[in-house]
Amino acid sequence: MTAPAITRQGERDRLVVKLSQIDWIFCLMLAAIAAAGGLMLYSIAGGAWSPWAGRHLTLFAVCFVIMIALATVDVRVWFSLAYPTYAIGLLLLLAVAVVGHSTLGARRWLDLGPLRIQPSEIIKIGLVLALARFYHGLPADKARFSGWLLIPAALIIVPAAIVAHQPDLGTALLIVATGGVTMILAGLSLRLATVGVVGVAAVLPAVFMFVLKSYQRARLLTFLDPEADRSGAGYHIIQSKIALGSGGLLGKGFGLGTQSQLNFLPEKSTDFIFSSLAEEFGFLGCVLVLAAYAAVIFMALRMASLAHSHFARLAAGGVTATFALCVLINGAMVMGLAPVVGVPMPLLSYGGTVMITMMVGFALVLSVRVHRYSEVTRGKGAFL
Amino acid sequence: MTSPSIYFDEVNERQGLFHRRAFLFGGGAGLGLAALGVRLAHLQLLETKRYRMLSEHNQFQFLLTPPPRGLILDRNGVVLASNRPAFRLLLARDETTDVTAVLADLAKLAPLDEARLHRAAAELDAAPRKAPVAVLEDMTWEEFSRVNVRAPELPGVTADMGEVRVYPFGGAFAHVIGYVAKVNARDLAKSGPNADPILLNPGFRIGKQGVEKAFDLDLRGKAGARKVEVDVKGRQVRQDPAGDIAPAPGAPIRLTLDADIQNRALEVFGEESGAAVMIDCRSGDILCLLSAPSFDANRFVKGLTAPEYRALAGYDRKPLFNKALTATYPPGSTFKTMVALTALEHGVDPNRTYACHGAWAWGGRVWHCDKSHGVLNMHDAIRQSCDIFFYQTALGVGPDRIAATARHFGLGEVFDLGIPGQKPGIIPDTAYKRRAFPQDPVWHPGETPSMGIGQGYVSVNALQLAVMVSRLANGARALKPRLVHSIGGVVQPSGAEAPGLPFAREHIDFVRAAMASVVESGTAAASGQLGLGPIKMAGKTGTAQSHTYTAAAGGIHGAKGAWAMRDHAWFVAFAPYDDPRYALSVLVEHGGFGGTAATPKAAELMRVALLKDPQVRARIVAPLPTSEPPALGRPGAVT
Repeated sequence: MTAPAITRQGERDRLVVKLSQIDWIFCLMLAAIAAAGGLMLYSIAGGAWSPWAGRHLTLFAVCFVIMIALATVDVRVWFSLAYPTYAIGLLLLLAVAVVGHSTLGARRWLDLGPLRIQPSEIIKIGLVLALARFYHGLPADKARFSGWLLIPAALIIVPAAIVAHQPDLGTALLIVATGGVTMILAGLSLRLATVGVVGVAAVLPAVFMFVLKSYQRARLLTFLDPEADRSGAGYHIIQSKIALGSGGLLGKGFGLGTQSQLNFLPEKSTDFIFSSLAEEFGFLGCVLVLAAYAAVIFMALRMASLAHSHFARLAAGGVTATFALCVLINGAMVMGLAPVVGVPMPLLSYGGTVMITMMVGFALVLSVRVHRYSEVTRGKGAFL
Repeated sequence: MTSPSIYFDEVNERQGLFHRRAFLFGGGAGLGLAALGVRLAHLQLLETKRYRMLSEHNQFQFLLTPPPRGLILDRNGVVLASNRPAFRLLLARDETTDVTAVLADLAKLAPLDEARLHRAAAELDAAPRKAPVAVLEDMTWEEFSRVNVRAPELPGVTADMGEVRVYPFGGAFAHVIGYVAKVNARDLAKSGPNADPILLNPGFRIGKQGVEKAFDLDLRGKAGARKVEVDVKGRQVRQDPAGDIAPAPGAPIRLTLDADIQNRALEVFGEESGAAVMIDCRSGDILCLLSAPSFDANRFVKGLTAPEYRALAGYDRKPLFNKALTATYPPGSTFKTMVALTALEHGVDPNRTYACHGAWAWGGRVWHCDKSHGVLNMHDAIRQSCDIFFYQTALGVGPDRIAATARHFGLGEVFDLGIPGQKPGIIPDTAYKRRAFPQDPVWHPGETPSMGIGQGYVSVNALQLAVMVSRLANGARALKPRLVHSIGGVVQPSGAEAPGLPFAREHIDFVRAAMASVVESGTAAASGQLGLGPIKMAGKTGTAQSHTYTAAAGGIHGAKGAWAMRDHAWFVAFAPYDDPRYALSVLVEHGGFGGTAATPKAAELMRVALLKDPQVRARIVAPLPTSEPPALGRPGAVT
């Protein structure tokens, strides 16, 4: 009995070995969710590939290939690119704040000729990498509670503040939450985490009064009482709940969702794609899709746990956190449990940049599995 | 690699920690997903019904279908008001509609002039959001199809087929039937907060005058609904005929009027101003209720333009005014029938004579007659219409008794016709004087002679005089006039079920005989001949002062001078004399003498009515089988 090829140095660097180590069932799950998205986008376009379904599936296919390719990139390469990625992301965020392209009153895009970059997406990956890189060199006792933790806190707060200023409240929230979860995964004292959550809850009213823009305030108020503004901001929540509820157990049938087909459902291709799915495929369809999401989350966490290096674990864990939080926030939003904050349902919603981010993130997760035996040096010094 | 890159103790510690934390996070995420599942189960399994309903409420709209308005028929079933299909152009606006641009586009497809565009823009401005407004009605098929093809590109534009009220006879029935017109803000305010939603339908019209107004709810019917699937912008995506609710058509209303007589009456009046009322003196049914000149009610349905309205309102012969009901005039000598009957009832000998020399001095002034009649008894005084005889007869019986008689014959009364607009006029007596003149509450004897010839305070409307003569003709019952025969097949109570007239039959017969002599050899002899063989007419002329003759007016009156200064001409009659069936009153406003202006018109209308009556016709034709029946439709006989 020889040990599997993956455990043998030299052997495991061969491409075939690497490809054999990719979790193909995990990839199948991703493809299944993306296919469900394509199906829904086909349906809500009135049974047409354009404008959404065709591009959605094509983009997924391209991203899938990129993901497999990136999965063969050694974790040590990711390790060395962690801080540079974060730095570039942060610089682009600053650039967008100065010369960004604004849509709907928010500066989120950077127009580079044919390329439109949304730096807030780059920083999502960059932040996870940077935090993993930082904690890789931090002893467990210090990661639990020490002055060192001001550094990851700063790593989180700075981009979150810039994104919130764009203003893109949903993404800022996601960045803070992802960072927080990564810190907890890295061993943050749970007591401190609790204190942190309570502290944030305490300052929220002040943020609400003085920091938020009026439309953001309106959205939050609307969430608390959607009936107060039936045709305005409350409209989104009401129509989404109608779409969900009227779907019933088995749904209205493929292509027969009246809420989405007749455009009562707003943002039906992006933020509220899950409502369209719920309307046409009912409770059973929803549970299937949620189960697929759960499978992706648990498989990704398992892959993270298998890694030998702390960097790899935390990077994969952080990506999983981003993904899981996206699913939970969007799900809560379309079901009327959270304010409408503009967080899409990953892989299901139409939208290029979010898809690219997620697939690059999963490439990292797969890479962590493929290279789980890679030994990542602690490097010179503690963190650099 | 020189030194071991992995510190195993730490690896183990940190890996264990990560496992625990990953387990924690995975559990949290799992809980979160489970919570979403519970929420989904709540929405999709427990509250399905509620959200299904809300979804259908979004998906389907019920569009009101206006009910076809009830027909209005004459007594023989001739249609006086009906509906015809019309193509309409509707426009609804929401926040995103650029009304001016859309209207400009529409003007290229349909004949929309500046004024109409202006009106449409104003109406759209006032209309609630998404409520369609009829921009153009009565399009041709070509215009309709042109707009219909382009409608999907023009936001808020639809073209549909509706119904428009049409009055085939235009003017003849305009005052009785009235007209329908668009619902305005005042109508809505009147119908209260729970107004019938059909009132808000674009281009919906309600009755604004006459029968159309009085019986609007009967004629309107109940709106139906069409179930259509709409998208979020309110555009119709699909129709669902199975979900339609059919409208309940309005009830037809049958009037007692006779279209032939009414139309002939309008022709007979031509440009002249006045009124004609004919009553079946056996039943009380009103066969003719005309006010002339009239107007075309169809113009009101379309909506009058300002110049049109000014022309109608400014014309001195007042076409918009119902002279048969709303205008009161002194009855003139037609009132002498009442004075004579009163005198007979109070024991005055019909053979008592008075001498007429054209003028009579009494009470410090001179009372005139139009000529010197010589010595007259009551019969001749009616026949010749001698004023001096009736000045003195009236003084003999006094105002209160005359007024009582007049009231028994319907003068001063407002009848229940179903349509509004009757003015009661005045039948004066001592009580009236007390009531109306607090500073001079005494009836002066000098006021009685004027009353005796139907002048002074006395004023009546044309309907009342027709009722008076129909009761004289009937002789037995105080007939009530009836205008509405049936509503939706439910026959209204007949006017014949009325109390008896408390007058001696021989006295009424005396007056009737005198009226027959008026036509045979009296004031109406020259122009009142029917020419229908044995069928004779009995009547009474009247010439009423329209103002107090003064020296300032140059003493001009009668049939001379400015139109507005001339006397009003009356003729009341019934026929056949020996078997009374039809009674009428004709008023020619400022027409001059009753015998020349009103009598020929009355004779012509009477001829139309008599010749339509098969029993009367049989009497005319049977005794003289060789002679030709008299020509119909010949203009009013003028001698």
